Amino acid sequence: MRGTTPRREQGMADPVLASMVHALGLETARHYTAATPNIQAYRDSWLKLAKFRDGPVNPKRLEVTNPAEMTKQITAKAMELGADMVGVCRLQPHMIDLGEDVTHEFVIAACVAEDYEKVVHGANAVEEEAMRTYAKCTEIATELAVHVRNLGYPALAHHNGGSEVQAIPIFYQVGFGQLGRHGSLINEKYGASFRPGFVTTDLPLTEDKPREFGVQDFCMNCNVCQLNCPGDAIPKEHVMTHGIKRWLIDLEKCYPYSRLRDEYCHLCVDVCPYNVKSHPETYKAFMKERKQVGYKTPKSW
Amino acid sequence: MDKLYVNEICADGEVNTVGLFYSRGEAENIIAQLKSIPERADCRYEIVEAVAVAASTNPPQQARESEKK
Repeated sequence: MRGTTPRREQGMADPVLASMVHALGLETARHYTAATPNIQAYRDSWLKLAKFRDGPVNPKRLEVTNPAEMTKQITAKAMELGADMVGVCRLQPHMIDLGEDVTHEFVIAACVAEDYEKVVHGANAVEEEAMRTYAKCTEIATELAVHVRNLGYPALAHHNGGSEVQAIPIFYQVGFGQLGRHGSLINEKYGASFRPGFVTTDLPLTEDKPREFGVQDFCMNCNVCQLNCPGDAIPKEHVMTHGIKRWLIDLEKCYPYSRLRDEYCHLCVDVCPYNVKSHPETYKAFMKERKQVGYKTPKSW
Repeated sequence: MDKLYVNEICADGEVNTVGLFYSRGEAENIIAQLKSIPERADCRYEIVEAVAVAASTNPPQQARESEKK
């Protein structure tokens, strides 16, 4: 199955970032060269696992007579490996990178939640936490793919060390949440503070379904992420793609804060009111700090 | 830097935004790749300037602070 969704490259492979770096007379994007030892170790960890994305399939295939029961077992396995959320859907062309061909029938999404408490420790702490969860997701996807291959079915892990699938369309289809104004998918429990790993496979499974709980309507009226974005990179207007509202972030405005400084910028996700359910006190303390420096906080406070 | 939407127009008339791109070359390359997919043979593609519809009217923080003063 050929993919239809363009992927924006990361780092200096991104033509927008490369042209901004060049125009400013910089040698590279500061965010990538200023990595702490911990962040570098996490990056190294997923690069080391890249060669294990695929592997030999057990020739003695386990016959699956009950896909629902198999889905339960796979979910339990992913949870045992450390996932906080697991979902399954049938792979569709818009979930695959444009120009890539993935032949598997299903995709398993396994997510790890970030520790939202890191927001009070600053941008570098948030960044380290993001990299920690990406590294954990890489381990989970790698191990889960091995597990499926041991059952006798092909399975390919997709993670930061290599991927041909797109996170947000899969997240939506498996029911993790809905797309928010800040461009990330919002879950009612974790907000957008979670990271993904995936396994594509032909193992017979049952599908989860999309869940809608009012995120897009909420985002139409909230605007907190937009009004807290230091680069004014989040648009007021949305576009539509297959019936879903998408607010497309202006990278030319985002990158000066998220890529061209030593510190990362994760503010759009950190200020999202959907964080309040899981971390009410931390969220309110964090937003109090934001208010003190002149940024908008939710109306009720 | 250009800001260009690529829209996909399906045979039934539905318009879906593929994404926001930052040069005409990048947008045209995406369209060429999409056109090469047999399942999309019935679709048309257009490149639309994004500035008028996408630009936020939210002033940067520094500007807001200056306005207050």
